[in-house]
Amino acid sequence: MPPTREHDDEQQLVLRLQAGEAAAYREAVRRYTPGMLAVARYYTDHSSAEDIVQECWTRVVSAIASFEGRASLKTWLHRIVANQAKNSLRRSQREVQTDFSEALEPQLASRFRSDGRWSQPPQLSTRETAESLLENGALGDCLDKHLSQLPEAQRSALMLYEAHQRQSAEVCNILGVSTSNLRVMLHRARQKIFLMVEHFQETGQC
Amino acid sequence: MLMCRDLAVIASDYIEGDLPLTQRLSVRTHLMMCRHCRSFVANLRNSIELMKGHSDQRLDDRYARRLDEEIERALASQSKDGSGPDQG
Repeated sequence: MPPTREHDDEQQLVLRLQAGEAAAYREAVRRYTPGMLAVARYYTDHSSAEDIVQECWTRVVSAIASFEGRASLKTWLHRIVANQAKNSLRRSQREVQTDFSEALEPQLASRFRSDGRWSQPPQLSTRETAESLLENGALGDCLDKHLSQLPEAQRSALMLYEAHQRQSAEVCNILGVSTSNLRVMLHRARQKIFLMVEHFQETGQC
Repeated sequence: MLMCRDLAVIASDYIEGDLPLTQRLSVRTHLMMCRHCRSFVANLRNSIELMKGHSDQRLDDRYARRLDEEIERALASQSKDGSGPDQG
């Protein structure tokens, strides 16, 4: 890992955690729990995910002494959660079902002619940035709604990748999915958001 | 020749820089000629940015406090056992 400021901060935090400093745990909880929940929610529902993450934090108290810094603290925590969630899943006989054989959302796929050209091209301007789009609070609410409607596995993989990990190899390792499945999952979710923004801009409706 | 539909299939890989050189050049050539696909790619990039800033990163206060309490209990029991780090 290159010696960045983030890395130095993390090393300091690890030392404080290893010394059993309660304030360091409060800081770590607020920094890392959202990503840990995203991992757990890939495997299970919201309330079980919270229980799993809680169990993991108490395990971290005894396990942090053995943390050697080979992976980042974030990745180490994500792996603990994934293992714990997989064990719970085995206990409850649940399986994560994901079928992403098609790379295009049906709603988008139907917008091409048989020769592969657009029949209904995108109606969005290319000048709007994500920042300017988010200035519209109603669009932010609409985004919340659409993200909450994504299949759980797709949504949590997406949040884990976009908001917490950014490294597809780590996300695949943590969630136990192939690179190609992860790519399709991310691509399909982005298309859904694209379609949502387009509809919102055209009609002003969510 | 790369068609609009083909480009839509690999647009995320293009944005992430995951395409081999020949495919990347085909995409660039296509984008130079096709404003619809330029719009699609630009707005797919926006979708990524929108999700990065999404509120899922917020942590519920009550839940965070519940975790604090559990951790404090675990720390206290560890120090009582004498198995853990000295908290003094």
